[in-house]
Amino acid sequence: MAITHTNRSNQDDTRDGRLFAPCRARCPIHVDVPGYLAAIAEGRFMDALEIILARNPLPSVCGRVCLRPCEDGCRRCLLDEPVAIAALKRAAADTGVYPAPRLARRIPGRIAIVGGGPAGLTAAHDLAALGLSVSIYEDKPRLGGMLRYGIPNYRLPDYALDRDIEYVLSHGIEAHTGVRIGRDITIEELSAQYDAVLVTVGLQDSRALPIPGADKPRVLKALPFLEACANGESMDLGARVVVIGGGNVAMDVARAARRHHAKEVRVVCLESRDTMPAAAHEIHDAEMEGITVHCSWGPREITGENMVEGLRAVRCERVFDLERRFAPVFDEETVNEFAADTIIFAIGQGPDIDELGLPVTFRNSIMVDPVDLKTSVAGVYAAGDIINGPTKIIDAIASGHRAAASIFRDLTGHGDTLESLDQESAVLGRVPDTMAAKVETRRRIQMERLEHWDAILNFDEVELGYTEFEASREAQRCLSCTAGARLAVEKCASCLTCTRVCPHGAACLNMGGYLYFEVEACHACGACVSQCPAQAINLETVSEEDLSRRVQRKLADRGMDTSLVFSCGHVPDTLIEAGVDFRAVQVSCLLRVSERSVFEALEEGASRIVFTRCTEGDCRFPHAQDLVNKRIRHIRKMLSEAEMSEAFLVTTAPDEHFTTEVDTP
Amino acid sequence: MIVVRQKPLDEICAMIAGHRSVLLVGCNTCAAVSLAGGETEVDTLLQLLRLTNKRHGMFIELSPAVLQRQCEPEYIECLQEGAYDAVLSLGCGAGVALLASTVGKPVYPALDTLFIGSAKGLARWQAECSACGQCVLGMTAGICPITRCAKGILNGPCGGVSDGTCELGDRPCAWVEIYERLDSLGCAKKFDTILAPKDNTTRQICEWDMSEGCDEK
Amino acid sequence: MSLSNAFGAGRFAITSEVGPPKGTDVAEMLATAEMLRGRVDALNVTDNQAAVMRLSTLAACVHLKNAGFDPVLQVTCRDRNRLALQSDLLGAASFGITNVLALTGDHVSVGDHPSARAVFDLESVQLLEVIRLLSAGVDAAGKELHGSPEFLVGAVVTPEARPLRPQMAKFAKKVSAGASFFQTQAVYDPESFKRFMENARQFEVKVMVGVVVLRSAGMARFMNKNIPGILVPDSIIDALESSSDPQATGIELTARFIDEVRDYCDGVHIMAVGAEHLVFEVLDAAGLTEGCIA
Repeated sequence: MAITHTNRSNQDDTRDGRLFAPCRARCPIHVDVPGYLAAIAEGRFMDALEIILARNPLPSVCGRVCLRPCEDGCRRCLLDEPVAIAALKRAAADTGVYPAPRLARRIPGRIAIVGGGPAGLTAAHDLAALGLSVSIYEDKPRLGGMLRYGIPNYRLPDYALDRDIEYVLSHGIEAHTGVRIGRDITIEELSAQYDAVLVTVGLQDSRALPIPGADKPRVLKALPFLEACANGESMDLGARVVVIGGGNVAMDVARAARRHHAKEVRVVCLESRDTMPAAAHEIHDAEMEGITVHCSWGPREITGENMVEGLRAVRCERVFDLERRFAPVFDEETVNEFAADTIIFAIGQGPDIDELGLPVTFRNSIMVDPVDLKTSVAGVYAAGDIINGPTKIIDAIASGHRAAASIFRDLTGHGDTLESLDQESAVLGRVPDTMAAKVETRRRIQMERLEHWDAILNFDEVELGYTEFEASREAQRCLSCTAGARLAVEKCASCLTCTRVCPHGAACLNMGGYLYFEVEACHACGACVSQCPAQAINLETVSEEDLSRRVQRKLADRGMDTSLVFSCGHVPDTLIEAGVDFRAVQVSCLLRVSERSVFEALEEGASRIVFTRCTEGDCRFPHAQDLVNKRIRHIRKMLSEAEMSEAFLVTTAPDEHFTTEVDTP
Repeated sequence: MIVVRQKPLDEICAMIAGHRSVLLVGCNTCAAVSLAGGETEVDTLLQLLRLTNKRHGMFIELSPAVLQRQCEPEYIECLQEGAYDAVLSLGCGAGVALLASTVGKPVYPALDTLFIGSAKGLARWQAECSACGQCVLGMTAGICPITRCAKGILNGPCGGVSDGTCELGDRPCAWVEIYERLDSLGCAKKFDTILAPKDNTTRQICEWDMSEGCDEK
Repeated sequence: MSLSNAFGAGRFAITSEVGPPKGTDVAEMLATAEMLRGRVDALNVTDNQAAVMRLSTLAACVHLKNAGFDPVLQVTCRDRNRLALQSDLLGAASFGITNVLALTGDHVSVGDHPSARAVFDLESVQLLEVIRLLSAGVDAAGKELHGSPEFLVGAVVTPEARPLRPQMAKFAKKVSAGASFFQTQAVYDPESFKRFMENARQFEVKVMVGVVVLRSAGMARFMNKNIPGILVPDSIIDALESSSDPQATGIELTARFIDEVRDYCDGVHIMAVGAEHLVFEVLDAAGLTEGCIA
């Protein structure tokens, strides 16, 4: 999808999917980030997971190891720090239950997918969901590709990967593992058996440098090393390991080496610190585990008689020339020798495509049409790193989607999905200063993780994930870009209440006296929605009807005396301690709970409604507190007229002092 | 705009008691703008009535509707024939009256009509006009003494004003405000004109036909 | 004794007031009036004072007139429309009542029938104009009268109103609408009153300074807080506070005040507010024993 960076803020753009939040725009598969964050903010992890799965079949994977381009775009970046989008995706995958697959009616058409990595799994998922028959052929004994054999378990444990793979396979996909194309079966043979063949074999060839000594034992390559790690093989690397390379794989290799009891692990790379391709947080994590990074060194020789003794390197003064071409310049006079018992090359991967028999480009990747990913062989498509070179997992997933859409078009004639991939979209501009001044700064919630000294003892997962409470709190930091107020002009009574309650001036009048919402300035607090007499305003992500349904579900198994708690996350301990039978409905702000919702819940059978307010310092929408208090007074007044005052309690978390009164304004 | 507010619940309950099926009708013009008669308020009242009826062991079927304006016959026409045997109007007095003359079923007011007013921020309104039929705002710097003065008097503040506040204590003295605004506009002299007792015949106009007085005699 | 005589003779006029009973028994009202016989020129009769329903002011005036007093008929606009006001004025004139004090009247909300409809078909200025019309032989609708009243027409003014300018502007309106004498709201600061009189002297009207005898510091504070247009200075509150006999102090302070302003105005209106027995003590203390015709 093409993204144009214009500042368009017409609400119709968001409705038609033509205006994206920057997080969504930067995601190669345009996952509806504001949508699932809104669901998590309300504790609806299942809903969140479904929203993610609508575009990303591998949430458990991406929640852990995605390089998260979305977070770089987060509009909170300029306020405090981006929302922990990936970690929240993980929370949705870990906490939510994967839904039963939604399968379209079976249609004729059989597809073979060669390679069970992210691109292949994604395409398999899409095609199977569309009703086609899909078989995956995988060289390795298990599915997952680089996800399983290239990413160490401490970052992506098998159980987390298997959750996603199970979900993908639940769409009725056949998997043939341990089948190597070229050796066990050829592309031509597959082409004969299937209506389409998709090649997603990735980059399997781990590169090394042809320097003297590179043929010694204990000179390893990244991928075989990582695969051995993944297979749980024990290795004796010696005490000192040098990893050559400056990318994320080098960091993975170094950290894996540390877990194989290497006391001293050094990463030696050509690039300077500023230009290292590895993500900053990956470098940081590596260093925290005691790994030393040596920048700007060019390997010249692996020293030692028979065994490896060290790496001799010279100072690298520049890696790229002025035209950004790879053209390293060395200072041969400045030499350093890094002592080592094992040396591991992690300088990149290349394709291993000789056996495929498909035409290749000058870059040695399979040649395809960039739009429909067709190779020059009829009925054969290719996707993922094998056509793009080394990219992010999320790019491979995007490529898988494209391949599936293209195959689907060619088999059925329906090209809508493929066309939609190239639809133009605008991206929401930055937070206006007036709004920035009023949004509470709140730091990202730090995820619990193993201490570094414990982490290096084994391959256990380092990051432990958010608790549900932490996840919803973190999700409540989301500004809900483009997911804010929508006006149904035909219902609007022009009362201007929205313009008066909006803290950021998002509800505006145009010259003709008509209302519209400035999308940039709306952060979906819902103040206008809750005050609109004509029900002409909705939020993209939540509706009163949704809330009604949630209340109904919660109360479905109510007892004789069941309380219903509305809160933005806190559930009063006193209720639990007192053994009160209650159901809790989490909303991202009590402002979203209207008078009607309260009365409806009482009619639904709740014997009392409890509002658990957050405290001022804790509140996502500080301006809302006044409105919430007014709402509470109004509910109280109406219920007291109905002689039901006792059916409504208000408490403030975490004080939990129950009251039937409310602060005077 | 006509400013309205909801009646106390017991008063509404007493009116509809005894009916089997009641249609709640909102008005998307003044009553909605007053935050008392829009779709939201119709739904809220409906829920509250359901709750109250259930509590009192009564069953009245309640259904909602919202009209663009209750004071226009054409808008009422779109009110669908239904099984309801009474209507609860969330409109101003005019809306209730026109519904009552149209639907052929008992129509009850859920709101009290307060005044013609202007918005004074969020959910607050200022009474500005009493529809007296004989506007004096030209003499009073745009502040209506008929409406804003508790006594509706026409020739200056009474003796009850205390530090610029009305003797009722709930409002500023309209006449002090008028005097001050006239003064600030440089036309304090207007204050010296004694305004004659009001011609109350304009209050008795109960129908206005624009063609009235246009015909040649 | 009569108010018009006092004004006519250029004497320092003295009035006080009585309130009609809540009920039909007028004995107490007459007994109160009796205490003041010979000491005052006229007695104001309040009209459902403070919007509390009582015997009609007209009936009370008739009782007083029959007992030989010169009553001042207070007429407020709160309870009667222009028809009722005019007919009562004509009725009063027919009983020989010649003094009228035109007031707008307190709002019903402050009285004992707060949910009553407040009429205010006219207000004080318009009422004064109607009285002038009646005196000229026509009613407010321009219809001729068979026999017309002759009234000494009064009105009220608050010398220390805040803000003062609109009050003074209205004062001027009342003058031009025909008020020939004014009784003021109670005043305590002689200097402030003198300033007011400098302004008032541009009009050819009689001004009677209003006084209320303070009986305690608490009463003073209550009036400051609750009675519009009254401003009891701290010095007076302090004097009352430190006095061993605040009532005596109150009488003395009132007398001193009257003494200080009498040369600046045309009379004094003593509002007893439930303590009519103090009125003659004040008069004694102020040395106002002569001049009144017994």
